[in-house]
Amino acid sequence: MLRAIGKRDRDIFEEVWPDKRRIVLKLLRQDTVSQREWQDLFFGVHFVCLWDEKGAAKIYDCLQQDIVEFIVQAQSQVQAQRGEQALLATYIVEWRKFFTQSNYLPLPFRQLEQSPQVKPSSSGSSSSASVSASGASTSAAAAAAASSCSGQAGKSGASTSAAAGASTSAAAAAASTSASTSSAAAAAAASGSGSSSSSTSASKKNPTEDSPVRKLMLDSWNKHIFHDIKHRLQESAMKIVHAERNGDAYDAQLVVGVRESYVNLSSNAEDKLEIYRENFEMAYLKATAEFYRLKSAEQQQENGVLAYMKYADSKLREEEVRAKRYLEPSSFSILTYTLVNVLIVDHLNSIIAECPALIRDYETERLNLMFRLMDRVMHGVGVEAMMGDLQRHIMSAGLADMLSASEVITQDSEKYVERLLELFNKFSDLVRNAFNDDPRFLTARDIAFKTVVNDTSVFKMELPTSIANRGVKYTAPESKCPELLANYCDMLLRRTPLSKRLTSEQIDARLRDVLLVLKYVNNKDVFMRYHKVHLTRRLILGTSADSEKEEDIVEWLREVGMPADYVNRLARMFQDIKVSEDLNTQFRTSISRHDAINIKILNAGAWARCSERVSVSLPIELEDYIPDVEEFYKKKHSGRKLQWYHHMSNGTITFVNNFGRYDLDVTTFQMAVLFAWNQRQHDKISYENLRLATELPDPELRRTLWSLVAFPKIKKQILLMEPAAISSPKDFAENTMFYINQEFAIGQNVKFAASWKAESHLAPAI
Amino acid sequence: MKVTIKSWTGVATWRWIANDENCGICRMSFESTCPECALPGDDCPLVWGVCSHCFHMHCIVKWLNLQPLNKQCPMCRQSWKFNVH
Repeated sequence: MLRAIGKRDRDIFEEVWPDKRRIVLKLLRQDTVSQREWQDLFFGVHFVCLWDEKGAAKIYDCLQQDIVEFIVQAQSQVQAQRGEQALLATYIVEWRKFFTQSNYLPLPFRQLEQSPQVKPSSSGSSSSASVSASGASTSAAAAAAASSCSGQAGKSGASTSAAAGASTSAAAAAASTSASTSSAAAAAAASGSGSSSSSTSASKKNPTEDSPVRKLMLDSWNKHIFHDIKHRLQESAMKIVHAERNGDAYDAQLVVGVRESYVNLSSNAEDKLEIYRENFEMAYLKATAEFYRLKSAEQQQENGVLAYMKYADSKLREEEVRAKRYLEPSSFSILTYTLVNVLIVDHLNSIIAECPALIRDYETERLNLMFRLMDRVMHGVGVEAMMGDLQRHIMSAGLADMLSASEVITQDSEKYVERLLELFNKFSDLVRNAFNDDPRFLTARDIAFKTVVNDTSVFKMELPTSIANRGVKYTAPESKCPELLANYCDMLLRRTPLSKRLTSEQIDARLRDVLLVLKYVNNKDVFMRYHKVHLTRRLILGTSADSEKEEDIVEWLREVGMPADYVNRLARMFQDIKVSEDLNTQFRTSISRHDAINIKILNAGAWARCSERVSVSLPIELEDYIPDVEEFYKKKHSGRKLQWYHHMSNGTITFVNNFGRYDLDVTTFQMAVLFAWNQRQHDKISYENLRLATELPDPELRRTLWSLVAFPKIKKQILLMEPAAISSPKDFAENTMFYINQEFAIGQNVKFAASWKAESHLAPAI
Repeated sequence: MKVTIKSWTGVATWRWIANDENCGICRMSFESTCPECALPGDDCPLVWGVCSHCFHMHCIVKWLNLQPLNKQCPMCRQSWKFNVH
């Protein structure tokens, strides 16, 4: 009916479009367009599409020409700029203008989306790739030539793709499915061609997002302007970044604007950052690497490695901040990787070479800096090297420290443990301050501590391991450390000047320290054996400073993972002592005359393995008690018999001489020897006769006599000998004479303690 | 100078009075423990039968539990009775 108005198809486009085209050009130039004109455009497009069979294609072609023409103009404007900043600024202005329009201009052309003739090509990049060969020529003539050439290419590309699109959409319509998967835009267009529901699916997103016209605009921009000047753009942007790195102030917005154009330019819906990544990011990384490759070498040469570390650290931070301004978040990690390679990995060896000296000088701040730098390097190469340096240093410095003090510490277990702890604390501080207690460095520290503690060059114990066929005794050298630790424990737990000086909390803290060192000891059994020997002595002599603490430490030993077997035996020892106390009470009530007698009945298996039982002729008084005790025990526990261990038993004797009355704590053996004089107080008795009187075996008698003639802590000994010039118990002869020192006296403050040779009697047969 | 004893602490260990070295059931020494115990002494005691044979308590109890009818001494086959001293 309208057709009767009588225009031929061709004429409708010819007649209507020139008028509308002016509006299109106005829109492109961002000239003012009246509401009327804007509305007319919608009508015009609709009218042409409705009455002209090929109207959509015609409009599309015409639109393309106009867009290309506009872009060519914009390009010439941008290209005309000489300065970097002016170039970028102009580009950004033009781009923003164009980009804004890409949101509006497609609106009137919605009708085209429904036309199978203008289906957008599935990817603009294939055609643009062919054009990019024409390169980045900057001369106006070349650019013009390129643009006309690429215009041709674009046109043919569009028409072929339109044909392809038509066939797919026809197929899709026939199958009545929207099976096209090449792109979201294609899918929308395809379904649109079959039904009228396209508007609903498109309106969910930005209405122009998938528009073929918008795609046409962006692809054209990409082809005509971007490809020709992108190298200049990038170079200019990088020059600005470069200048900024050198400290000159520039308008950062220029760089940001360029980046934004790269990001927005992409019409690839699946990978929006493709163009940005392949161009801008790559250029940025390259420029960054080049800049710092030069700078870092220069810095290191001028200021030395230590200053360079600071430089590298500050630049890494600075670049991270800069990246937040100029790059998309997806680029941060690769930028950091690039920077680390240029700033650290390339200088790895020279930086690492400084590490030993820094550790030696406790330069915690610099070490911390180095650690932070190295920690960025992949695969931990740098950190491992630093760990090695730390470990070597602790070993050598620790051993050197121990060796330098070897004379003191081998003799004095308190000094040894204190020195060791001081050393440990020093290195632990180092690890904390320099390496933030990083687990890797803690491990390195522990390995080194182990070496120091178990090293045998300072002092060693000879532990017999086997006796070879020819009677040669082989010994495996062992660090004396566990023995000294046990000695130190003993000093803390026994009533000693040390344990009296310290508060309970201080003693606890020191015991904890011992356990800390013990952690590094390889041969923990040795510690346990000595500890048990000491504990045995403390329990039997009743010299524990604090019996609660004694039991605490048993639990602590369990906590630090000492063999359960050992720990259980220790616990059993306490049990025996408690059982013995009950027995004692019962024993004393059963027989009134035995108030002076204490008995300690031990489980043979739990206590330190005793050396051979030693027979001795006891003083008559004691000899009388023994059967009473045995009888009493037999009543309490049938099926058991007692075995006396007189080398562990002990007592207090009392005597009076011209200087006063004295109580002496002595061993039972010392007691037996002194009782020999009870009937003949002023006699001199020969070694031979003493042996007959006491029935002590030879070595035991020698040891006991020596303890009475040469007790190290007093001046006046209780026994004297003839000849007096004997310097060792081995030199006692059968006829060496011994007699009571009638002048014997001890100062009021000196307590004559029993010289109970725990080590010699109880030393485990190890 | 005459010495007198003010006090004395005697130390002794105790042992089982057994008529054999080893337990007839587990063959372990009486001075050590039955196979299930770790620490010799009070926790792993010996017991005597009226037949005068003695065993680790744990061993003989286990043995007797395995005999459904005649509870006999594994050594002499007399019927087992604990000898309570």
